[in-house]
Amino acid sequence: MLRLAPGVRLHQEEGGVAFLLIPEGVVELSPTAVAIVELLDGARTLDDVTKTLAERYDASPDELRDDVAQLCDEFRSKGYLR
Amino acid sequence: MTYRCNLQCPYCYNPLNLAAYRNELDGETWRRVVNEAADIGVLQVHVSGGEPTLRPSEAVAVVEAASTRGLYTNLITQGTFLDDTLLDRFIAAGLEHVQISIQAPEAELADRIAGTNVHEKKLIAIERVMKRGIAFTLNCVIHRANHDMLPQVIELAERLGVRRLELANTQFYGWAFENRAWLMPTREQVRAGERIVAEARERLAGQMQITYVLPDYYEEFPKPCMHGWGNAFMTVAPNGDVLPCPAAASITSLRFDSVRERPLREIWESSDAFVAYRGTAWMPEPCRSCERREVDFGGCRCQAFALLGDAGATDPACAKSPHHGVIAAAVEERPTETFVPRRMQTTTSA
Repeated sequence: MLRLAPGVRLHQEEGGVAFLLIPEGVVELSPTAVAIVELLDGARTLDDVTKTLAERYDASPDELRDDVAQLCDEFRSKGYLR
Repeated sequence: MTYRCNLQCPYCYNPLNLAAYRNELDGETWRRVVNEAADIGVLQVHVSGGEPTLRPSEAVAVVEAASTRGLYTNLITQGTFLDDTLLDRFIAAGLEHVQISIQAPEAELADRIAGTNVHEKKLIAIERVMKRGIAFTLNCVIHRANHDMLPQVIELAERLGVRRLELANTQFYGWAFENRAWLMPTREQVRAGERIVAEARERLAGQMQITYVLPDYYEEFPKPCMHGWGNAFMTVAPNGDVLPCPAAASITSLRFDSVRERPLREIWESSDAFVAYRGTAWMPEPCRSCERREVDFGGCRCQAFALLGDAGATDPACAKSPHHGVIAAAVEERPTETFVPRRMQTTTSA
């Protein structure tokens, strides 16, 4: 179950701009990325996340599954998620 | 925090005139500066030097002030003064990340480069930090003298259980520029380095992040230095001077403003030094019409100044620079056997 790695923090500003604060930099996040990251609490599976977002956006899980998986894959390979 | 340091690494990017920075800001001023930084939207604070733990209370004060305002804090240290008590103070103050450097994967070479016996102490400090669970990056500055030991550096990182490894090919500012002929890696070393790191990244995927940037002397295009001058970063020097980058004091044609005299917002927005090369309007050709001008921003001002005497010139590391030849010459330069150790009292190199 993925969650933000130690030393990686989600930072949200007024007006909706959001970043991941990482050891030597800052990663700007899209609203979808923020939604996914917020749900990754170490207890939820990717399936849980997909289902929750599907309900929230009134979409089918199948539509979102690939995007969720892709983001998690990318963020895990960069060490933001563990 | 300070340019004082107990190590004498020849690749240090601090200015040569270390003694000119003895009038260090006090803790109260640092707190004010951090709060001003938070006010203008700064997100991250790197506490460094010299050796920041030589000013332990002030360094902790900076972390505390930053953390209180929600800023991410990173302590960049050689670690030998980071005992349990001080580490506890930093963690209680909200420190989120520590970076400790090693000079080589084994004590004999490491201590020779550092100019003092610290390697074993660093390993103890690293263990101490990792035991606390705080996010940690191991750094090793890479150059000709330790390049061939890249595999052992990676191996050591693995043995220590490190999750982030920064293999920083040395850049040539300050003391590193002085010692360039001793530090410059060979082309063969750089090629080998690429292969070694690529293999390690694949093998350690998901286990360790490895940062490795090729030295720009061996690249076709310059590095996007600081993501642009006065764009995303600023450095507050130990004496309060505000610089667009850690090496900028080397540009003698610039005048820097001090936090002792002006608010940080004002300095960021309208200090001569920041305005001088911000954006693209200052760019000469070939940068001005180049499609990469907002990719690498014309490269590094400090490097243009160091190599060409003109901070407003295209970084000669760019193959499009009419002066690119100085880079080729530097790479071909005969290596020296000795280096000038970084010391407070400067002596001219032999």
